[in-house]
Amino acid sequence: MSNSKEKVRLAVMFGGRSAEHEISIITALQAISAIDTLRYSVIPIYIASDGVWYTGDVLLEKSYYKGLPASKSTAQRVAFLSDPTVCGIVPVSTDGTLDLKKAIPIDVYFLAFHGQYGEDGCLQGMLEMANCAYTGCDVTSSAMAMNKYDCKMYLKAHGIPVLPAVEISKKSAMRGLKAVQEEILGTKGLDTFPLFVKPCHLGSSVGISIANTLTELNSSLAKTFIYDDKAIVEPCVTNLLEINVSVLDGDPPTASVVEIPVASKKALTYEDKYLRGGSKKTGERTEGMASLSRIINPQDLDPKIKEMVQSYALKAYLLLGCSGVGRFDFMYDLAKSELYFNELNPIPGSLSFYLWAKSEPQLLYTNMIDSMVERAISRRVERLTLKRDIGFKALLLSN
Amino acid sequence: MTELLVILSASYFLYKRELRCLRFFQQHEYNAKRYIAWIVEQRAFDTRGSFAAIASAIFPSLSIVSSIILIYLATQEEDPRKSGKIKLKMTERACRIFRASCTLSLFALILTQISPVSWWLLIALFQSAFLIIPFANFILQRGEGKRQKQFLAEAKAILAKADPYVIGITGSYGKSSTKDALGQILQITLGPTFWPAKGVNTPMGITQEIRTHLKQGYKYAVIEMGAYQRGSIKRLCELTPPHAAIITAVGIAHLERFGSPENIYLGKSELAQSVPDNGLLVCNGDDVGARRMAREHAKNTTLLYGFDNSQNDLACYVSSFKVTMEGTLFTLHWKGMRLDGKTPLIGKAALSNILGAFTLACELGAEPEYVLAIISNLEPVNNRLQLDVDGKITYLRDAYNSNPVGFATALDVMKELPGQRRILMTPGFIELGPKQYEENERIGKMAASFCDLAIVVGTYNREALQVGLQKGGLAQEKVLLVDDRTKALATLSNIRQDGDIILIENDLPDLFEANVKF
Repeated sequence: MSNSKEKVRLAVMFGGRSAEHEISIITALQAISAIDTLRYSVIPIYIASDGVWYTGDVLLEKSYYKGLPASKSTAQRVAFLSDPTVCGIVPVSTDGTLDLKKAIPIDVYFLAFHGQYGEDGCLQGMLEMANCAYTGCDVTSSAMAMNKYDCKMYLKAHGIPVLPAVEISKKSAMRGLKAVQEEILGTKGLDTFPLFVKPCHLGSSVGISIANTLTELNSSLAKTFIYDDKAIVEPCVTNLLEINVSVLDGDPPTASVVEIPVASKKALTYEDKYLRGGSKKTGERTEGMASLSRIINPQDLDPKIKEMVQSYALKAYLLLGCSGVGRFDFMYDLAKSELYFNELNPIPGSLSFYLWAKSEPQLLYTNMIDSMVERAISRRVERLTLKRDIGFKALLLSN
Repeated sequence: MTELLVILSASYFLYKRELRCLRFFQQHEYNAKRYIAWIVEQRAFDTRGSFAAIASAIFPSLSIVSSIILIYLATQEEDPRKSGKIKLKMTERACRIFRASCTLSLFALILTQISPVSWWLLIALFQSAFLIIPFANFILQRGEGKRQKQFLAEAKAILAKADPYVIGITGSYGKSSTKDALGQILQITLGPTFWPAKGVNTPMGITQEIRTHLKQGYKYAVIEMGAYQRGSIKRLCELTPPHAAIITAVGIAHLERFGSPENIYLGKSELAQSVPDNGLLVCNGDDVGARRMAREHAKNTTLLYGFDNSQNDLACYVSSFKVTMEGTLFTLHWKGMRLDGKTPLIGKAALSNILGAFTLACELGAEPEYVLAIISNLEPVNNRLQLDVDGKITYLRDAYNSNPVGFATALDVMKELPGQRRILMTPGFIELGPKQYEENERIGKMAASFCDLAIVVGTYNREALQVGLQKGGLAQEKVLLVDDRTKALATLSNIRQDGDIILIENDLPDLFEANVKF
């Protein structure tokens, strides 16, 4: 940590140009309320849906977002420069000019984005260019996580089980649907309906559909290509249990307790029918994302499955080179009793703090943030200390 | 001192009043002639402000009381940015007009206070307050014209640089839905496509969309072109020169402004004329006017689409369709192929628009099966014959600017859907000039043949609708007359019951149904 007397200037960044803009605001405000104000001075940075950056204390109030777009002007517009000598944000004056002398210095960028342009490596790349310290996954691991197909194939190659899948690009569908259909149905494990079609890069449930026939497959692909230029097609597991787990940086990284997210109206069915062990006791519940109810550390779930989930997640975390906190989502096929890795969220909703609060040993949100910030600072220094400047040689020789 | 209080209170009152006037001026598309005619027709002159002023005009010693009343009245004026069906949008232009009119009002107010008969002059000022907004607009016009020219030139340059294949769409109805469908189809099957937001079809609207959204790399641009008088489409074609066009219909919308049906035809023909000879023209074969245009302005490739293929000349036609609660199922024919499709959009009119988009996209090289896949995902545009089921009550909302064909389609769908009572709520159509009465009476008669109840909204078409409904056989007590939309919705919530199918047809701008009082 830097000088103990001086607070770390922590910029909490959120919003952004993705479908999950609003969820990101919630994650950020939640995190800000958990940040230790004795150690950090918080600078909120909001990226509006049009991509313009803002800062100011008004961003800490929910009313600001309810009052958009009229409230926009009450925050200070700022710009970010990739020049490493600035390493801060610069206010944009009303006449559109930037004065580098007025730059607001920032020590660490705390990223609370979800989805594209915030969680996928784009922003991370920008922060790397400016030599800034930022929390969470780096460019490569973020980008890998955000392409569902590439992520699966990479982990599969390293022995982590995944469902069969094929990636279809918008371009190949434009060239002709016949060939695309043949490619899908010719893939091992995808030769029978129903099939699950979803956007390759999106996190939320936008653009997802199930196809039962060839005509519906065309329709599903067309729907996905409204939102993404790549679709991933998988078999549709009808009888499944979703199991999620969070992994946090450390030496070595650790896994949290697992959770079973359940759509509220299906909750009872899942608990009664599918949870192993026979006992009627339900697991503990917590306030997570509003639309979902979840069972954290379900007491009735077979401990072997829990262990498998945790160990696959830890393995995947290291393989992908993740940092900070990530959430790994698995699927358990109840008919075949098989577990599959499904996807990785490099910046999970609410940063999965609710899982750590129930883990053993318990980790409170405030401490989790500390650990993420420390890791961000040390990663930056590790990169800075790498020797890069080897001088001009080729040019001097050619003279 | 008293003068100061009078100026302050009266300027506050005028501030609120000008804001309200601006809303109606905006709804009249900043057209002073139409706006003033409307105020005069509605007799929407000031009563409140003048009422407060008259006492002081007679007894000047009451100035303070009048001022306080004025402040009170000002607080009671509604805020048009927050209330009303179509709210005042404070665009840059609206802000400029409002600022100028506030300055003018204040200047006039100060002048009145110099005069010995200040309260009489104030009454005159309140009475003519509705003129300040168009006057401010008139003063700003010169600057506005210059700015608009600059924006137009910018948009033209952006379009020229991106150089997409431009498809213009016009018609008395269906053009916006056709544009949305075609935009989505081209975007997914053929390449990046630019299409302006919902309902944008004027030069300045399109200019704005081009300036903010059109970038190099777009391969197609689908432009909806609105026609309000002869020459409007020609102007639009100069802004976005089309390579291809779709003509959805030549009806009688905006007949008042065009003057005659022939003028409407000629106005819309400007699009077909602007398409080069080696271009592509796609016309609705079910529409007499669109057919005539295909004949009179034929291009290298001229294609007709529709339902009625009795003349065996439709390139694309639907041989059968069925409306269900989930959407419309149909069988279409294209270049010897027979294809089954479905769409969440409801009714024959929606299907006709889809056919136009299908024909053009397939002619440009899109794969028919893929186009149908996109059509199966099209989302209903809000309030354009949208079907919602609320418990056991079915709502058909066709609130957007209605026309005789769209209304008839909505009635057809209502008739076909399974249910018990059928309830129609409508203010009728507008802007049909000399045919206004006749068309409203006709549609009323058509509705009466199977509707169980009708709620006639407002007074604008009340008589025609009432006569039509009764001629069609609906008993007098089954026709409910209400003053405005709010009351109509209240009536509806009182009478509705399970099994009802409720058609809400045409939500008019406030101008045509609200009883505006100043």
